[in-house]
Amino acid sequence: MSAQNYMQKEQKSLMKLINFRLPRQFMIFGLIVFGLSFLLLIFREAVFGIDSLYIKEGLQKSLLVSMLIMSLTKDKEEDEMTTQLRMQSYAWAFITGVIYALVMPYVEFGVGSILNEGEETIGTLGDFRILVFMLLVQLMSYHVLKRYR
Amino acid sequence: MENTIKVERAILDLTQEDLARKIGVSRQTINSIEANRYVPSTVLALKMSALFNKPVNEFFKLSPDD
Repeated sequence: MSAQNYMQKEQKSLMKLINFRLPRQFMIFGLIVFGLSFLLLIFREAVFGIDSLYIKEGLQKSLLVSMLIMSLTKDKEEDEMTTQLRMQSYAWAFITGVIYALVMPYVEFGVGSILNEGEETIGTLGDFRILVFMLLVQLMSYHVLKRYR
Repeated sequence: MENTIKVERAILDLTQEDLARKIGVSRQTINSIEANRYVPSTVLALKMSALFNKPVNEFFKLSPDD
């Protein structure tokens, strides 16, 4: 195989990966899993009887997976414009995610210092909060961009 | 970029929906192209060219700020 053929094959498989979308039916599945995970995360103590860290982490992961499924699901009418809007929404999610991760600890520190009279320390955000924020921004911005296209 | 797709569509007596179906995109995409909110890809422009039976530069023109 020549170098050019190899590069073309590589490019083709990369484009295939970039354009990968789940079938439309996965949106409903994602929404159901998201709803269930969200409710169970809030009422886990009442439902499971204990407040276990494993249960909490498991529900957080299923919440993230459900949002990722919704993010990767095909649109009703998928064309080159929706692909462009989707890429734009991923860019927004990435940029706002970085800003959120950089700024939020200081905001929390400021608010905490006021409420706890200066006994607060600067912490870091967990991966769950950053990922949920990024996925939320992606899903919402994609919806907004589609509405105003 | 400016375009006269609306005029070309009227010549062929096509609705946005008809044109969208013929070139395999959504009606909203045609609407956005006509309103100059979206610049289509070369593939889409060539599909339109084949449908209108005209070269691309007859219905797509660069605007002064391009």
